[in-house]
Amino acid sequence: MASHRAFLVALFAALAVLPTVANQYTLFVANLMMLYIILALGLNLLVGFAGQLAFANAAMYGIGAYGAALLQVRLGLSYWIAAPCGALLAMAIGTLLAFPALRLSGIYLALATLAFAQFTQWVLLHWNTVTFGAGGFPVPQPDFSALGMSPDRGIYYVSWVVTVVLLAFAWRVVRSRVGRAFVAMRDRELAAQALGVDLLRYKAMAFALSGFYAGTAGALYPAVLAYVSPEGFDLFQMILHKAMIVVGGMGSIVGSVIGASLLVYLLEVLRQFKATQEIVFGALLLAFVLFQPRGLVDFLKRWVPGWAEPLHYASDRESPSEITVADELVAGSGGEPSR
Amino acid sequence: MSSLTVTNVSVAFGGVQALSDVSLAVSPGQIVGVIGPNGAGKTTLLNVICGVSRPDRGEVSLHGTLVTGWKPSRIAGLGLGRTFQTSQLFPGMTVLENLMTGLHLRGRVGLIAAAFRTPSMKREEAEMRERALAALDFVGMRAVAGRSGTALSFGQQRVVEIARALIGDPKVVLLDEPAVGLSPPRVAELDILLRRIRDERGITLMMIEHVIRLVMEVSERVIVMNSGHKIAEGRPDDIRRNPDVIEAYLGRHDDARRPAP
Amino acid sequence: MLVLSYRLVTGITTGALYALVALGIVVVYKATEVVNLAHGELFMMGGFLAYTLHVMVKLPYVPSVLLAVAGSFAIGILTDRVAFRPLMKEGLVSVLLATIGISFILKGTARVLWGGKGDYLAFPPLVSPEPIRIGNVMIMSQQLVVLLAALVVMLVFAAFFKTTRAGKFMQATASNPRAAALVGIHVSRVYMYTFGVGAAVAGASAVLMAPLTLLYPDIGFALFIKGFAAAVLGGLTSVPGAIIGGLLVGIFEQLAAGFIGTTIQDVSAFVVIMFALIFLPTGILGVRGARKI
Repeated sequence: MASHRAFLVALFAALAVLPTVANQYTLFVANLMMLYIILALGLNLLVGFAGQLAFANAAMYGIGAYGAALLQVRLGLSYWIAAPCGALLAMAIGTLLAFPALRLSGIYLALATLAFAQFTQWVLLHWNTVTFGAGGFPVPQPDFSALGMSPDRGIYYVSWVVTVVLLAFAWRVVRSRVGRAFVAMRDRELAAQALGVDLLRYKAMAFALSGFYAGTAGALYPAVLAYVSPEGFDLFQMILHKAMIVVGGMGSIVGSVIGASLLVYLLEVLRQFKATQEIVFGALLLAFVLFQPRGLVDFLKRWVPGWAEPLHYASDRESPSEITVADELVAGSGGEPSR
Repeated sequence: MSSLTVTNVSVAFGGVQALSDVSLAVSPGQIVGVIGPNGAGKTTLLNVICGVSRPDRGEVSLHGTLVTGWKPSRIAGLGLGRTFQTSQLFPGMTVLENLMTGLHLRGRVGLIAAAFRTPSMKREEAEMRERALAALDFVGMRAVAGRSGTALSFGQQRVVEIARALIGDPKVVLLDEPAVGLSPPRVAELDILLRRIRDERGITLMMIEHVIRLVMEVSERVIVMNSGHKIAEGRPDDIRRNPDVIEAYLGRHDDARRPAP
Repeated sequence: MLVLSYRLVTGITTGALYALVALGIVVVYKATEVVNLAHGELFMMGGFLAYTLHVMVKLPYVPSVLLAVAGSFAIGILTDRVAFRPLMKEGLVSVLLATIGISFILKGTARVLWGGKGDYLAFPPLVSPEPIRIGNVMIMSQQLVVLLAALVVMLVFAAFFKTTRAGKFMQATASNPRAAALVGIHVSRVYMYTFGVGAAVAGASAVLMAPLTLLYPDIGFALFIKGFAAAVLGGLTSVPGAIIGGLLVGIFEQLAAGFIGTTIQDVSAFVVIMFALIFLPTGILGVRGARKI
């Protein structure tokens, strides 16, 4: 078995047996880790593979969480109905973002999605009559007594199944015609069109997928934490998600898993120090973008035998036949162009 | 019926008239060369044909179907391929995957089929691989199939891009300066390749080029552009002697001179 | 009527500040085609530096302001060196992510140094809080000072670009970097100073705003969104557009607060951004071609 696949199998085998040996806190962190794996996978599909620079992931996460929680608390629906609804709601709203994505690119798309995320946060904070406002509200956990399990254990296994399914799904999508269309769109949009890749269709698909992933993680959230509040889906969350895929490796499925796992651990270690969290994650993001933009998987690809994922992330400058203005200017600063 | 017809197309960008009332028709199975000084509007013409730019006036039709205003991916679906001036191989993929992406329109696999790995999905993937390898054989590039898109030499990249543009069996292919940066022996190889494409595959080619020698030798017809206008059209020999063309390249001279090769 | 005119005055005053933030964004974007996502934090640091110097170290107002602006300038230069220069050839994604990293480092540092979530710093008012009556219009003397100061900053800014050598170099580089390099302009250094100037303007606007509101580490992002809304509305490449955009956003915000409710203030910027991007893709005064690839 290829080593990167073996790694995933080993990880999830370990996660499967964890409840038998771990205490409640460890189980909680592991459960959280799985949620973040889902979030990172979805974001990587959108940003790393399809190249859409969007900043709405944390908002989708929040929509999924609030959707699932409010349907339970306000309308009395069972968790097993509320949760999929929350996820689908996030997917639907995420898909709508594809339309501005068609007309906007680069910085405009980034800021438009950022503004949308801020708007969502505002709604969660101020629409008190529906969302309970800034303080958040408790949510009853689903009942697993029929299976003889505590809610914590029950939701852990549910998360495990969902995470494995979504991981397998992402794994397969990337290794298909769809995955190639995404990467083509990311790398050379014009050439992709010339080969028949319909931008609207694939952008919508990428946004829908990431919305669904984030929404699913969100739908699991209230069951894991028994509480939702706007704080869990703010700008810092957004940075956290981005940091996970940058540290793990953009354009890599296994990278998403690695990045999420490591950073959740770091997050918990730093839990007492909110301000330090910000500095650490900001610095981590910056450091990796500067020095290891292809993420940790790049190391693993080089040093671990048998590690080979298809479709790697390539930066703008990986085209030796192109001279960019920036190159000339940096090399030839002082006035003389270098060529 | 012509493969490609451009009728009275005009395009302006921010005050600059890139194309003025350009018309042309390309017969099936021809190689048509497009030459002209820099800024003549040649690339803009290709952009309009393939749908990247929308003309302010005029029409484009492909195999008799009006495609003006269609989005590029849709026009590609009608059987139009294109290469670009700068390398447009996808750097995040191997050469083989690049070629397989060229078969995008021949594939049907979507999210569901990919997720469930249906037998038809696996079959399609295997077929795409076979065809991609065969396409690389056609241009003699099979050896580099596993390399990343950018780990090739410049000349190799150009050839692979042409292979990628051809793999989906287009009927018309637009080539934007395929010979740029190639050494003379490579240009000669390109010459042969272009003829093979026309003769063995029956594909119509429209080619922008600055390497005049190549254009004159390989094209059946040559179109000359200058400052957004079509200033001449005809057989290579006639174009060579056309005073307007000479003037466009060299300025007014008392004695007729050949345009620089 | 009095309330409406008061709202308008407030709108114009805050609008002038948004205009300054937008100016900083536009200046950097025009030159480098990058929006510095840490721009809001540069604003925030300017304000916090002024507070530290004036309130904690007890320096008189004017030197505090000048030092705070200088400090912002320095952080701007640092941003260029760390985030832009090494990454501009990697592409937009890398630069944006790097600036986000910087924004969080700055925000976290501010939180550590000056206080956590929920801590607000009050900057002492510059003049007495008595309102002045001009004709039918009421204006707080504090607001008047701020408005005048903002105008002065804008004029200084304009003068800098029109008259100084450095300013002209920056303009030249912004409009045609290749040509600028060919005539001997040290382009990467110009980029560096551009970042510095953009940051300095942000710092200046924070200093001006400090007496009007409370300072807190998260203020950076809120201001950034508003500044960006103003910049997009005016056209991301237009300096006068940024000013007009800022005023419009400020006024719109106040009117919305008056007619709908005060909490709407926080999202009026979002509404403006979406409106501008959908209906006015190049902004009121922008140049075509800046949008789609």
